[in-house]
Amino acid sequence: MHYQRPPRTSVTPKGIQVMRNHLRGRLAVLPALAAASLVLAACGGGDVNEAATEATEEAVAEETVAEEAPEEEAAEDMPEEEAVVADCGDWGVAMHAWVGYTASAQVLSDVARDALGCNIEQIQLEEAGVTYDAMEAGSVDVIVEDWGGGRWQEWVDRGAVQEAGFNGNVGLIGMYVPQWMCEEYPDISDGTKLNEYAELFVTPESGGKGAWYEGPPGYTTIGEKIINAYDLNFQVINTGSEAALIEMFTQAAENQEPGLGYFYEPQNFLAQVELCRVNFPENDWTDTAEASGLTDYPETPLVKLATTELLESGSPFATLVSNFEWTNGDQNAVAAAIEGGATPEEAAADWISANTDTVNMWLEGTGASM
Amino acid sequence: MSTLESLPAWMRKRSTLVFAVLGVWIVLGTVFSGIHTLELSTATNTPVTDWFRELAASIRGSRAESPLFVYFFNPLRGAIEGFIELIRALIAVPASGNIIPVIGWLGVVALVGYIVYASSNWRTSLLSMGLLTACGMLGVWTYTMDTLAMTIGAVLLSLAIALPIGIWAGLNDRVMAFIRPVLDLAQILPTLVYLAPLALVFLIGIAAATIATMIYSIPICVRITAHAIRSLKAGPIEAAESMGSTRGQMLRKVQLPMARRTIILGINQTTLAALSFVVIAALIGAPGLGKPVIEALTIRNVGDGVVAGLAVVFLAVMLDRATTAAVQHSGQLPPEGAALVRRRIGLVIGAIATVIAIYLSRFQLWAAVFPEELVIGEYIANAADAVTEWITSTFYFLTIGLNENFTIHVLNRIEGLLANTPWYITIIAISLLAAIIGGRFVAILSAVLLGAIVLIGLWNDAMVTLTQVLIATAIVMLIGVIMGVLAGRSARIERALKPILDAGQTLPAFVYLVPVLALFGPSRFAAIVCGVFYATPVVVRVVADGVRGVPSDMVEAAVSSGSSTTQVVTKVQLPASKRSLLLGANQGMIFVLAVVVIGGFVGAGGLGYLVIVGQSKPELQGKGLAAGLAIVLLGVVMDRIAQAGARRNEKKPA
Repeated sequence: MHYQRPPRTSVTPKGIQVMRNHLRGRLAVLPALAAASLVLAACGGGDVNEAATEATEEAVAEETVAEEAPEEEAAEDMPEEEAVVADCGDWGVAMHAWVGYTASAQVLSDVARDALGCNIEQIQLEEAGVTYDAMEAGSVDVIVEDWGGGRWQEWVDRGAVQEAGFNGNVGLIGMYVPQWMCEEYPDISDGTKLNEYAELFVTPESGGKGAWYEGPPGYTTIGEKIINAYDLNFQVINTGSEAALIEMFTQAAENQEPGLGYFYEPQNFLAQVELCRVNFPENDWTDTAEASGLTDYPETPLVKLATTELLESGSPFATLVSNFEWTNGDQNAVAAAIEGGATPEEAAADWISANTDTVNMWLEGTGASM
Repeated sequence: MSTLESLPAWMRKRSTLVFAVLGVWIVLGTVFSGIHTLELSTATNTPVTDWFRELAASIRGSRAESPLFVYFFNPLRGAIEGFIELIRALIAVPASGNIIPVIGWLGVVALVGYIVYASSNWRTSLLSMGLLTACGMLGVWTYTMDTLAMTIGAVLLSLAIALPIGIWAGLNDRVMAFIRPVLDLAQILPTLVYLAPLALVFLIGIAAATIATMIYSIPICVRITAHAIRSLKAGPIEAAESMGSTRGQMLRKVQLPMARRTIILGINQTTLAALSFVVIAALIGAPGLGKPVIEALTIRNVGDGVVAGLAVVFLAVMLDRATTAAVQHSGQLPPEGAALVRRRIGLVIGAIATVIAIYLSRFQLWAAVFPEELVIGEYIANAADAVTEWITSTFYFLTIGLNENFTIHVLNRIEGLLANTPWYITIIAISLLAAIIGGRFVAILSAVLLGAIVLIGLWNDAMVTLTQVLIATAIVMLIGVIMGVLAGRSARIERALKPILDAGQTLPAFVYLVPVLALFGPSRFAAIVCGVFYATPVVVRVVADGVRGVPSDMVEAAVSSGSSTTQVVTKVQLPASKRSLLLGANQGMIFVLAVVVIGGFVGAGGLGYLVIVGQSKPELQGKGLAAGLAIVLLGVVMDRIAQAGARRNEKKPA
């Protein structure tokens, strides 16, 4: 009933997980002999870091063997291709909070690591300006999903950041009401008739008008324009965070209360609390001056951004980033797995192994394949 | 005021005047409601906010070229980042390609334990080690170490700057007079306000976060250090002077040793301030516990936020107890005889054990990475989720009803008066009130600063914020006085309240933002509740202190003359601690302002929302910066009125 939050992700690095399994048996025997093992470790001369590196390499080697065995046909052209792959280098991938983004960025990072041998650092940070600044400063190289049409222009103009094509996902923003309202008031989904229902949405917060719960700060919002254009008797309330919106919708659905708010897909919350979209007349977005008023949110093809440094580096990662493209269904599959309790790494690995054709299309031109 | 003296006595009474102004204001406000309210939609910029936006863009554009950046800001950023990364590499983050930092968890626990033991006693040392281990068991070891590293780094840098300035200001009246206004301003600056400008200059990241933390903690340290030097008794100094000591000798041999206790107390306060700020600084990229705390808000995840918040509290308790114990220890005489031998043996054994622990933590996995088998964070997170869920589902109708009634009958009316009245009437009314409470100077200052907010173009949003601050402060005072009196009168209640107050003061406001949101929905009332949570502990402390400070013979005289408990409280203890009450009100208001601004995250609108939206929407960045400035102006107006009122009260004979 309640919004399922994303699973708690372990902060333990991957190598440690591998090493844990590797060392568990040995450790279980030794706790009583701490001093002795101390001496042993000292004689061995390797500290935990070195041991971990070895363990990871061993485990990776085992995995590779296990994977290659059943696919003998593919194995014949593998060696020569791998020999051609250029040195990838060190790159930073921006990580944003929403789960759909996590899915895309994790798959991209893991393909880059496993197929191209890139050293990818994933950097958690706020979207938009913050990330563009980081790209300009050189600490982040890739945004795999950006919703804001052109808000990056200033950074592009200065030369450090470039658009790197669409990622294949299509975002749909809209105004929503809980499903029960659409059932009780069938024409409420027609935005132009919203005024008839404005009274239902009045709260102490909205100053006698209907409350129009607007999207969080970083998101593309045009609520004020829509209200003006249709002369709606509604008052924009800036919710300030996605948590606030989800809270509003959850309570509205559970307690059969009215509520009109901003939401978007792809988003997992829509699978848990049924919402109903309020549609406004579509608008011709070719004429941007016209579009500023009478409109609904358009479908947004989501954009990849990359640093000029990466795109001009000749690194195979640049090719991978430019080629990366998948559908809403793909992203939702990985996002759902993450929500179901898998770590992002596990979810990405499952999708990658089930979709090698797609992945290999991304890898075209790099000389590598999965 | 001289003009008032010509008036008859009843008109000179201040409360009468206050009510008269309020009455006229309400009448005018009702008649002219909705006219000239200067309401502005969020997406609209004003000339001033446009100017800020262009300024921000030009700063961004010149980061790579302007000499100021190339030769000053960028190297400074690099140096600070390098320094903090050094500490992080030691205890928090592995170097590239490695899996553990230089010292693993067991080593850190042992090292902290040893440092605390060496500077105080074994009991505090055990407590510190226990609390650190508890952070590991919460499953947030790496985050905790990041926060600890950031705090240590920021404190060291702060002390390097603040101690010399504080000592100088303690010795030199002119220096003190010069920096006092800066210290005053720093104290009322809401934390959220200077994050954005710093991020603009230093980029999001460790450097900006560290500098922001320093701006917050340096004034505290300067103030206490200067106070420590100033409040020394004249006797020993004069004696040293008469013996012909140079100024340097006197400082080193007499003044600093004598002021040592207070200075260490200052370090204690600086450390706690830095810790609480490092958590907030996650908004501009500080690594550590602030990250899960803020993520808990953005993706609505109470459990993980509570777990991280608990770790912040543990860390705060540890740092507080360790530094407090060090203060006490430094005041004690050195041990003698058997005690000295025992202490020395303890130090040697401790040193050996620490070295072994550090060694183990580098070579043994169980000592390097906190064992997952011991982590119980998830259970606590789930329990916190369940409790929140239960409270929400059980009390939702009650709390929503409370919210609605309060909003309609109190909040909307007061906001209507402040924000929905023509702006010039509100400014005149506030200035008149300032004149009555604080005098002519404060009245002029209020009018000028409020006028500046009008010029910036954010008047209406400022009044929305002011409404929330005033209401929250009133509630805080009500609760704070009741609890403060109880705690001031009974040592038992005080002891029972202490852990709650401690936790309340260190728990980051973001942690309870989400549960409050669940209970009250996205609303201004939610922000007010958060402000009340945050500011009440301070007010309780100050009031309890005041009540305890009332001379006991006054209380006894009242009791023996047959006064009831209520009479003793209302007729003796509260009037006698009036100064503490006013101080508490002022402190409470400043604390409330800091949090009500964060209320922008839960639908409270106002200036706080503009600051937040300015961080994430480039086209509104100028508006966000301007909103930050407006918050500062608002804070100065409120602080000056309250301070001036308190001063005048003192001057008047009781």
